Amino acid sequence: MRDLIVLGGSSHPHLTKQICRNLTIDQGRVSSKKFSNGETSIEVIDSVREKDVYIVQSGCGEVNDNFIELLIMISACKIASATRVTAVLPLFPYSRQPDAPHAANLTGAPSISTKKESYTFESAPSTPRPLSRGSSYFNDSFATGANSSREGLLEKATHNSLRHPVPYTAKSLVTNSASTNITSVDVSSKSDNGYKQWVAQNGTLIANLLTTAGADRLITMDLHDPQFQGFFNIPVDNLYSRPLLKHYIKDYIPNYQDCVIVSPDSGGAKRATSIADSLGCSFALIHKERRAKVAKNPPSTAASSSSSSVNLLNSISMNTTNMVATTMLVGDVKDKVCVLIDDLVDTSYTITRAAKLLKDQGAKYVYALVTHAVFSGDAINRVLKSDIDKVITTNSVPQSEHVSIIGPDNFEVLDISRILAEAIRRIHNGESVSMLFDHGW
Amino acid sequence: MTKSPNNIKLIAGNSHPQLCQAIAKKLGIQLARVGAFQYTNKETAVAVGESVRDEDVYIIQTCCSEDKINDYLMELLITINACKIASARRITAVIPNFFYARQDKKDKSRAPITAKLIANLLQTAGCHHVITLDLHASQIQGFFRAPVDNLYAEPSTLRFITEHYDRKELIIVSPDAGGAKRVASIADKLDVNFALIHKERQKANEISRMVLVGDVTDKVCVLVDDMADTCGTLCKAAEILLENGASKVIAMITHGIFSSNAIEKLNNSKLDKVICTNSLPLQDKVAACSRLEIIDISPTLAEAIRRLHNGESVSYLFNNVPE
Repeated sequence: MRDLIVLGGSSHPHLTKQICRNLTIDQGRVSSKKFSNGETSIEVIDSVREKDVYIVQSGCGEVNDNFIELLIMISACKIASATRVTAVLPLFPYSRQPDAPHAANLTGAPSISTKKESYTFESAPSTPRPLSRGSSYFNDSFATGANSSREGLLEKATHNSLRHPVPYTAKSLVTNSASTNITSVDVSSKSDNGYKQWVAQNGTLIANLLTTAGADRLITMDLHDPQFQGFFNIPVDNLYSRPLLKHYIKDYIPNYQDCVIVSPDSGGAKRATSIADSLGCSFALIHKERRAKVAKNPPSTAASSSSSSVNLLNSISMNTTNMVATTMLVGDVKDKVCVLIDDLVDTSYTITRAAKLLKDQGAKYVYALVTHAVFSGDAINRVLKSDIDKVITTNSVPQSEHVSIIGPDNFEVLDISRILAEAIRRIHNGESVSMLFDHGW
Repeated sequence: MTKSPNNIKLIAGNSHPQLCQAIAKKLGIQLARVGAFQYTNKETAVAVGESVRDEDVYIIQTCCSEDKINDYLMELLITINACKIASARRITAVIPNFFYARQDKKDKSRAPITAKLIANLLQTAGCHHVITLDLHASQIQGFFRAPVDNLYAEPSTLRFITEHYDRKELIIVSPDAGGAKRVASIADKLDVNFALIHKERQKANEISRMVLVGDVTDKVCVLVDDMADTCGTLCKAAEILLENGASKVIAMITHGIFSSNAIEKLNNSKLDKVICTNSLPLQDKVAACSRLEIIDISPTLAEAIRRLHNGESVSYLFNNVPE
């Protein structure tokens, strides 16, 4: 193909190679190094003058390093007179944001925390610290050396602030919950000065940074948040892995018509129903609710008074935070093969809990079909110990490590390089991309 | 309509908490409860714990640490953006050691001008003003559409030198031809002579040959440079100066990056002293190298913030050290 160049960032070289193989072109050469002081150094070796450049970089691993590397590469191609630069981000960085910005300590992924030695299903993130490296947290950053200098400002903020953060006993806290030690806040996330702490959403910023660096177009896959597309002023092609997943269900799950497609949370219901409808399978939904305890009577009684079609399974009351979490399964899964469908699994709390719930309800076998399996922190071990019988994911982020932990029998990786390559080919030739949405490749 | 008076909100980045503390102390204020943390998937997020609406926000972040530069950069961008979303009146990035300052030109085909990219990214994030210290190339100011205050560490370091050394013995030496101008102006101020070392560089961070221009016999040579990274230049320059009859060699540096085995090199070198500002965190390096002398730059930065907030002139700081 003329005037087409595919460059690869350091996040996922294998995927770049596969894409190039599918396009039957040679990968453009880029030298990406670090200077001795740690700054990223990029040099594009092949000429890109008047070329249509595609840069493949996934939002995984060292997210910030990879993202800045991508920005520098885009900018380097731009000032080297490339006609058009398209960023190909199979997993979009920073696409998963805490859903309720006003409850920073109750939603969002857990912060980096200390490593645990054993993993149990019930293991929950310990109290996280801002960028902590395991040194003692409450040291005066002035007196101690550089080790504690990493600890970050929040610590200072807490020094200044009026009370020390209370270690958050999150023993039975439900998925996606974490506390940030920014300032100690109460249930309604108000700190002692009465200001409601919030966590900034980065979506628009990331979009603007990419545009500023010079990206003319974007290709991504299964955006966690479809509204994300609206943050950009440049065209964004959001590809779907759905056809790929559907093929898998059809071809590899025996008697797939009898299985139940399950969405692990209400946010993914649409995704799961569309697959269930097109395959003619039945559908179930796991609903999770978290709210501050107001009623005097224990949550279990309060919730069990709900309608009989709803199986109340799990209700946890947390005395420390006065929070109530209820997990409900809507639909029948008894003696069925269940297929959990989710777009992104990061901490794996949602999916492992969902699997346990399904097994408790008599499910025979649980598949987990996930587009982006990030498995950060100790998530992979949690999956290993969980009730999920088989994980099927795509290679939007490198999976070889996950495969080696879980074992190839229970972990299958679908190749998305063909979809991406076909999208690149079509965009380069000015053909329609929408056909890929339905039929896959 | 004049706007109602507002307050300084000082936000500390995670890169250099000591400096942030020192600046806050000098200004007599507390650090704002705004801060960045990382999720397990290594994405950075910023929690805002107090109102910055209509306030004058200063975010301090410096380019340091070999493995976390890009993390700190993203943290800065996200913090700026968070303050923008939170309706801050003005956002100033205080970046003593500017990010990617040395990648300021297209020195090879298809090499990026990363410093320009960083300037654009900062402005995209919502930065209205930048305070920095001894930019590697002052032309980087031109990469911004926003105003940039490029402060000098020179008054602080010079004061140290005049307090500790006899002016009659001094000679100011530039380790490369590019620094000749800076050295000449310092020499003029002190009313001493200056010399120059010309180096031929074939690859980045590697020097091949050095030639001394000027007479340094029986003098205390002060090597002046804006940053010391691998310290190859400094150590070699010191050797050449001593070979040419210098009695003692000291180095005067603004940004002590000291990457990889720089400290080891300094310990084995013939340099008598390395005087360096705390624009980067250096505590562990001071412990490892007794020749390192740290000068606190926080008064200059704090005074610049105070003057900027009050709309006073900053140029006083170019020649004087605030008390």
